[in-house]
Amino acid sequence: MGQIKILIVDDDPDITEAMKIVLENQGYIVDNAIDSSEGLERIKASMPDLIILDVMMNTLSEGFLLSRELRKNPEYKNIPILMVTSVKQQTGIDFETAAGDETWLPVDGFLNKPVKPEVLLEKVKSLLHES
Amino acid sequence: MEPLLHSTSLVQRAYWLVRLRWIAIAVLGIATFTASKIFHVSLPAQKLYLMAGVLILYNFLLFDLLNYFTWGGKSPSHKTISRIITFQISADLFILTVILHYSGGIENPFFLYFVFHMIIASILLTPWQSYLQATLALLLFGLTVLLEYQGTIPHYKLTGFIRHELYCDSLFVFVTFGVLSTTLYLVVYMTTSISAQLRERQEDYEIANFQLKEKDRLKNEYVLRLTHDIRGHLAAIISCLNIVSDRIVGQLNEKQADLVERASRRTSKCMAFVTALLKLTRMKISGHVDMSYFPLKNVFFDTIAAVENKAAAKSIDLNYEIEPSIDEVYGEPILIEESITNMLLNAIKYTPEKGEVSLFAKDKGDHILIQVCDTGMGIPVNEINKIFNEFFRASNARKVERDGTGLGLSIVKQITEMHGGKIWAENNPTGGSTFSFTLPKTSAKYNTN
Repeated sequence: MGQIKILIVDDDPDITEAMKIVLENQGYIVDNAIDSSEGLERIKASMPDLIILDVMMNTLSEGFLLSRELRKNPEYKNIPILMVTSVKQQTGIDFETAAGDETWLPVDGFLNKPVKPEVLLEKVKSLLHES
Repeated sequence: MEPLLHSTSLVQRAYWLVRLRWIAIAVLGIATFTASKIFHVSLPAQKLYLMAGVLILYNFLLFDLLNYFTWGGKSPSHKTISRIITFQISADLFILTVILHYSGGIENPFFLYFVFHMIIASILLTPWQSYLQATLALLLFGLTVLLEYQGTIPHYKLTGFIRHELYCDSLFVFVTFGVLSTTLYLVVYMTTSISAQLRERQEDYEIANFQLKEKDRLKNEYVLRLTHDIRGHLAAIISCLNIVSDRIVGQLNEKQADLVERASRRTSKCMAFVTALLKLTRMKISGHVDMSYFPLKNVFFDTIAAVENKAAAKSIDLNYEIEPSIDEVYGEPILIEESITNMLLNAIKYTPEKGEVSLFAKDKGDHILIQVCDTGMGIPVNEINKIFNEFFRASNARKVERDGTGLGLSIVKQITEMHGGKIWAENNPTGGSTFSFTLPKTSAKYNTN
């Protein structure tokens, strides 16, 4: 599975690094971006097989907006998106049940930060249909 | 100067006047009957009963008028309700004067009842309106007394009660009326002064209350920001620690593993605390919940399922019972579930092995009572009122579990209050404690702000 590419879009360099190590340790090729515009550039440049997306970056809902934008684009709409955020505690939104709602939260999976390595891997594998 | 009461309480007072009037009508009827039938005082009883009849009709009309202005939860303007009250008091003064005229005029000691009207006016109206009412009372009554004195209108004698004809004794009339005048003005003066003091104090309280709420709001927003930031850092720390403790980046020697384990444990506890504080603060700021009807039974199943492993680990007997009449309750199911789970986890934590924890739902008519009983250590009596305070932890609980957030029960309290319910704790006579909260059956508008 050496050639699977994962893009992490998160503005927290430490969390990005931690996830990167976990994923690279499993043989994935991991790229990262610090906001949605850089994320979009990377997506265009390298077509990742999975995107791990944070919600709150420069703005409170940047991740939501990026996920909706990707879903609108026929080229990228099939890339699975895993949303990883700590936003639940602040907004009270029940992301676990909202994830998958195509208009509202068009992502394929949701995890709450901090994510345990084994949980992250399990989720990534299931989204890539590896498990 | 503003009147003492706000519109809503003024409306209540307008209804209060209507209720007082029913009593006055009863007093009029009984007094007329007693005087004429028992003490055989000569009275134009029929006219007085007629007045009572007029009063009854008038009171019904006022009641309808008030209902009209408050129909469907409407709140009439301050001006409208103040006018209704002014009208009521003026009309009452007129009616009292007519009744007094038919029952002996100045010879009837019931003229003292003008004092009641002055007190009511001074409480409900502005001072100058109250002085005007006093003047109106004196004008009406003075005119009646004068006309009776002059013989322009008849005087109804209270034969059997008054032995001498006093209404035409100029000195008696002058002194009595003078005393009444000073009494009424003094009553208005004293009552309005007291009202003014109360009003000032009320305004002070309102300002203080507003400032407190504002400070509380600022505090909550501050805490929200702070906890959210801290949570972000903690998430990063935990993410990095997890990688080390999971040996993803290489093996650790025993000492390193131990230190990383300690750091992880402390960070997780800090995370639990910050998460709870964030949750509590968020609820306080939003102040409202979207409520719906949901079956309580499902929530009970889920909460029991969520905690049964913990209970089993301590061989604690966990059981629950819902009264059959309870089906759906009104609230926010996720929050209610969280409340019950928190209470159950608390009970399990502080109940020794092989103890018992029970969850009940009882139908109490207008509300549902939810209780968690345990056979645990109980709550020290002097701490029972503080148990729901934020960050408070009972002294005996601290001994059993050193690290606790002190926020679990505060969250339960906050959730209960957002639902318009009450929460309390008590020690069982046989040992252990019972935590109870109520859920109103009707939709309760509730605002914690």
